[in-house]
Amino acid sequence: MCGEGRTIDGWSAGATIGGSSIPALPELARMRRERFQRLQDQLHAQGVDGLVLLGSSSVAYATGAAVPAQDGDRAALFRPVAIVGEGDSAPHLYTQYVDGVPADLPEDHLHGPLFPELDEGMELFAKALAEHFQAGARVGIDDQTHAMLRGLQGYDWVDASAVMGAAKIIKTRDEVACIRKAQHINERAMVDALAILRPGIRQIDLSAVFLRRAFELGASANAIDPIWQVMAPTRELGPWTLHGDLAYPTVTTDRLLREGDVIWVDAGITWEGYASDYGRTWVTSADPVPNYRQQAQFRRWRTVVDAALDILKPGVSALSLGKAAIEANGGVRPWIEHFYLAHGVGTDSAEMPLIGTDFGEQFDEKIVMQPGMVVVFEPVIWDEGAAGYRSEDIVAVTDTGWVKLSGSSYDPYGISA
Amino acid sequence: MSPAPRDRGVLVGMMGLEDDARVDFGRLRAQRRAKVLSGMERHDLDALMLGGVGDVRYVSGARQLGRTGVLPFAPAAVVVRETGRVHVLSTWDEGVPPEIRHDDLYGISWNPANLAASLATIPGLRESRRVGTDGLTPMFASLLSQLVTSAELVDAAPVMVTARRTKTSDEITCLDVASAIAESAMSALESALMPGITERELLAVYYESVASIGAPVAPSESVCFTTSTYGLAGFRYLASDRPVKDGELVVLAPCALYAGYEGGLARTRVTGRTAPPGTADLASRCSRSMDALMAACRPGNTGADLYRAWESAGNRETQVPLAHGLGLGAEPPLIGMGRGRDATLEEGMVLSVQSWIAEEGVGGCLERATVRIEGGAPSTLTRYGRL
Repeated sequence: MCGEGRTIDGWSAGATIGGSSIPALPELARMRRERFQRLQDQLHAQGVDGLVLLGSSSVAYATGAAVPAQDGDRAALFRPVAIVGEGDSAPHLYTQYVDGVPADLPEDHLHGPLFPELDEGMELFAKALAEHFQAGARVGIDDQTHAMLRGLQGYDWVDASAVMGAAKIIKTRDEVACIRKAQHINERAMVDALAILRPGIRQIDLSAVFLRRAFELGASANAIDPIWQVMAPTRELGPWTLHGDLAYPTVTTDRLLREGDVIWVDAGITWEGYASDYGRTWVTSADPVPNYRQQAQFRRWRTVVDAALDILKPGVSALSLGKAAIEANGGVRPWIEHFYLAHGVGTDSAEMPLIGTDFGEQFDEKIVMQPGMVVVFEPVIWDEGAAGYRSEDIVAVTDTGWVKLSGSSYDPYGISA
Repeated sequence: MSPAPRDRGVLVGMMGLEDDARVDFGRLRAQRRAKVLSGMERHDLDALMLGGVGDVRYVSGARQLGRTGVLPFAPAAVVVRETGRVHVLSTWDEGVPPEIRHDDLYGISWNPANLAASLATIPGLRESRRVGTDGLTPMFASLLSQLVTSAELVDAAPVMVTARRTKTSDEITCLDVASAIAESAMSALESALMPGITERELLAVYYESVASIGAPVAPSESVCFTTSTYGLAGFRYLASDRPVKDGELVVLAPCALYAGYEGGLARTRVTGRTAPPGTADLASRCSRSMDALMAACRPGNTGADLYRAWESAGNRETQVPLAHGLGLGAEPPLIGMGRGRDATLEEGMVLSVQSWIAEEGVGGCLERATVRIEGGAPSTLTRYGRL
């Protein structure tokens, strides 16, 4: 491996974040405490009196509460709410999911559900707010229903994203350990899915094997419908797009996979609230041996990621990482127009730092790598006429360089690349 | 289209048939859109900007990537009354129905200002006076008013909740199919249930079952839990790693999505051979209470009638809903947990109705069904033997 980074095999060799070594498994109570402190620090620094949180990833971050994974409108109707007051010692949690409440949440901080979608009972929400905030308080909020807009007036609502983003972008050592554990479960479940891949298997069959195995291995929840997109050999033969670049990711169906199909796999489960992000390229065949051209795509992908990893350490800007990747790809931007070279991962499957998005170069220049950032590199090597290669490498930035959180098997293209 | 079959069972499958039996998705979408546009007219809304998963699906019919949890509001579909067009946040056309044209799509942006700039090009949006949304954030409130439209942003619920409340016949068929998939998962769970298996392993069996049928997105991962024989059993939501013990009552509650529509049911089963003493009484109280709730599910009745039915069966208020709407996921009304006494039941609504009873020293018993409100007695879309 390259640079000052260490692979998972060298895990215990002493990589540190803020001087503390990263544990193999997290101390969850410490993680919740340190995250809450990060929120408090940001509230203080940004002059915000508190937070009202309704988005799943924000509630999970602020409270550590577990919630059964649910699809869109069900998740919304029955969602828990977190309220964080500046200077308070713990978050307030409003939930029906009593079996998901962390043991260390003080009893007087646990309350029944508020149902933010419904006008009925909004007076209870208003009463809860009045217990935490004075009229006119400046309160960060991440999502508002119309029932709330009608019933919760008298506060200076500001977007919670500034506080949440600034807190979340730096992970504690325990958060890094959670991501690594989630990734490990995800990767092990993928071994079983890859084992059944042959002509005649349907995309949903891969989902069935993957999801079953992920839960047997201890996943807390699934985060996203697993993707097994067949990549047409040329852009023209793939789905029509607004920008003329590739369509990705498209939704899994009962599509039958056929000899020679190149599939770009993407899946994410969670463990203790933290998302994994598995990305690999597979080849459908009775005898899946990538041909010479495919192997060259993979080597190019490796070269691009390595070019970024070679310079990755605290102090390096996202813009420099993007430039290094482009240069290693012969001056061609190695990612799809609507995506990025890399993104962060945490309680959201894609969060800051984003590198190479439509936020633009000035934005990227201001994102400077710091110990505790977690970066998922997912460049795409497109080889018009022969599809392409895409995988994802997850690293955490350490005090001196980086440490890899994802595994180093790239079957069927290569092992320990 | 072949004649409407007298045996609706022929509709309950996921494969397209040569005679175009089963769901006519073009008609399903057209009817939904017509309900939305007429609602916009009635409530004087010039446009809708929607971010909720169910609302986006309802107006567009686009296949969306299944993601769990709640994301903060962002406009993923736009409906303009004047043009009658539906615009969808999608960078590609795969999964987008044919009536939504390429120039009706707007692309993925990470920078919300760029998203707002794309929205601003949607014909008719800028000139709108009143725009309904199904949520907001302080950031979008300011971006939309600065970059997209000077319209008043109001609640889209009078249009969307009303349109979604009663189901068309194609929607009922989708709910039927979802219910049948959930029943299939129930059989898989029942076969797998034995002393020593963990809740998480049962959840794994559930996922394998629904995914291999072709419905890999779970409406909820809360699909099973053991109920404690110590103290008063609580309703639990999260799968644990504790092995199920011989003689424990286990709740099996699978659900499934078909074309976005959710069906689900729950039954309670004894693990192994020996039921704890008192099980028969508990089970009969549970089914008696379920029958009482079902009997109250009639058009014109209100949530208060369900509360009364529940109490008259000898129960106190529970910590879980007695009923809630079903359609593109969970929908209002919510009846139970102190809410929904005033909610009125209408013919054509579909509800998830449940009876949860716990008895100290025995365990807990849950029965849940997907129920269609009809002219007379309700019908259950889910079928499965009781305890």
